[in-house]
Amino acid sequence: MTRNRDIMGVQRSAKECKTNVPAKGIVPALLRTPWYSLVLLLILASCSSQKKLDAYSDIYSERPNVIYVAPLNDLSLRRALRTTEDSLYNISLNVAAKHLYLTAADPLIHHGYYLPGPLASAQIAATEWRTGKQLRNDDISDYYTSLGIDAVLFITLQSWQCTYNTWTVEVEYVLRSTHSGNELFHVSVKAMKLLTTDFKGNLLPLGEDADFARRYGCDVETAQRCRLVETLNQYVLKDLPSGAHARQHNTERYIPSHPEYFNLKIHPDGSVQMLQTELYE
Amino acid sequence: MKKNDSHKTRSLLTLCASIVFIFHFSFFIFSCSGEYIGVPRAEVLRYQTTPTYGVLHELATAYAVSLNNAVKADTLHPGMYAEYGVTLALMGHTGTACRMLNAEMKAFPESRGMVTRIKQRLMPDMLIDTLATPRDTANLVQLAAWAYDSVTALKPLPPVAAVIDSTDTVWISLQTPVDSVNYPIRLTATEKREILERQQAEEAARQQHVADSLAAEKQAAIEARKQAQLEREREKKAKEEARKAEQQAREQQREEERKQKAAQREEERKRKAAEREEAKKNKKKQND
Repeated sequence: MTRNRDIMGVQRSAKECKTNVPAKGIVPALLRTPWYSLVLLLILASCSSQKKLDAYSDIYSERPNVIYVAPLNDLSLRRALRTTEDSLYNISLNVAAKHLYLTAADPLIHHGYYLPGPLASAQIAATEWRTGKQLRNDDISDYYTSLGIDAVLFITLQSWQCTYNTWTVEVEYVLRSTHSGNELFHVSVKAMKLLTTDFKGNLLPLGEDADFARRYGCDVETAQRCRLVETLNQYVLKDLPSGAHARQHNTERYIPSHPEYFNLKIHPDGSVQMLQTELYE
Repeated sequence: MKKNDSHKTRSLLTLCASIVFIFHFSFFIFSCSGEYIGVPRAEVLRYQTTPTYGVLHELATAYAVSLNNAVKADTLHPGMYAEYGVTLALMGHTGTACRMLNAEMKAFPESRGMVTRIKQRLMPDMLIDTLATPRDTANLVQLAAWAYDSVTALKPLPPVAAVIDSTDTVWISLQTPVDSVNYPIRLTATEKREILERQQAEEAARQQHVADSLAAEKQAAIEARKQAQLEREREKKAKEEARKAEQQAREQQREEERKQKAAQREEERKRKAAEREEAKKNKKKQND
């Protein structure tokens, strides 16, 4: 009786091999093992995702260097002030909105863009007569002619949704060129933060949330909201190509970019999970 | 031998999987790590929620420490000098603030436009330090005069100086009745709009006044022309009447003269007839 040896080193008889479809070659072995199938899927997923050159073709063609973050357009609803909790909730949302604006510049500065700081931006914004909506739609070429700004980043905080163990925030990012007026980058993201509570239902700050609350001197809820919007900013804006004068501007063209539509799920330990969606709802 | 091969393949696949896993998750970890780039966010957030002088002072101190560390470590990020400069300017230390903004402009030349705008807003007196070209003084004086007039109507306090920059931001120094310190007053958007509307209304009224005065002048000219024409007609009529009267008088005189001549002729004829009669009578007497 002749015995064959499959790729995993198991000796089988010819009959067994005939009946059980002998696994010869690397692909059937990979498909048969769940771990390697996962690897294969990951490799395939990374190969099939869009490249930065295709995703941000306008940025690569216009090569902006100076970006100005326009004042935040906060469309989220506030509660009517009936109890102290309502007031605290509104304060928490206000602080989170401010933190969203403050942390928007960091990933872009790390990418080699020039961005004015929050106080300087506030001074520039104070000289602007147009409303946010007008700025978003009208001609903004004067920003280039008078201030030397190549692109303006508009951030719109659409809504906050709260359930007992999750907070969801919807934010829209639009980067408009001051040269051509085109939208160089437009993304709407829904980020969800999973929370941990104690047996009474009170929020438990874990890890960086606790550090944040201690450092900023705010309550747990505000800290977790701030951390959520900060992570969202980091995740979304980090994907933009590097600035025109940055060394990586040309070398990172073929790195996979984020998918066109995606949501984020942030776990209590700080890890981020990206959920690819077909179309943003 | 075959067993060793399969082990090799398995370890190779595990290595590949680990690399892919590390690549993907390191990207997640890197993208989500909190980063600190010279902006003391806690202080900025505190200043934005409670904008008091004390918090501003803390913010300036934090910026100073951050800037000092960045300069020492040669990790200067864009906007750090400008942020510190703006904080100092808000505290009133315009000299140092101007130096910081100039340093920002020197370190990052692309910030020139923004620094100029910030200086125009916070310290217009120091603007000449930034701009190489002198400003249009005549235009500035004219604008300042306009701002002075406009703001006097809006603000109850008497302004002592008014400056307007190229971004139509009006800067008014007010002397309060309590103390004699001049405060730069930054007009709000509503006030600016009011000024603009007032200016537009004044411009419209001026244009209306000009148009009205032009129309009045035109009407007056028409009236004068009509009056002159009437005057001329009246004079013409008077001349005509005078000429007619003169003619009548001349005719009357001529008639009287004719009558006188006729009467004289008649008298002459009568005298001649009487003489003739007398001569006839004398002749008859002589004959007799």
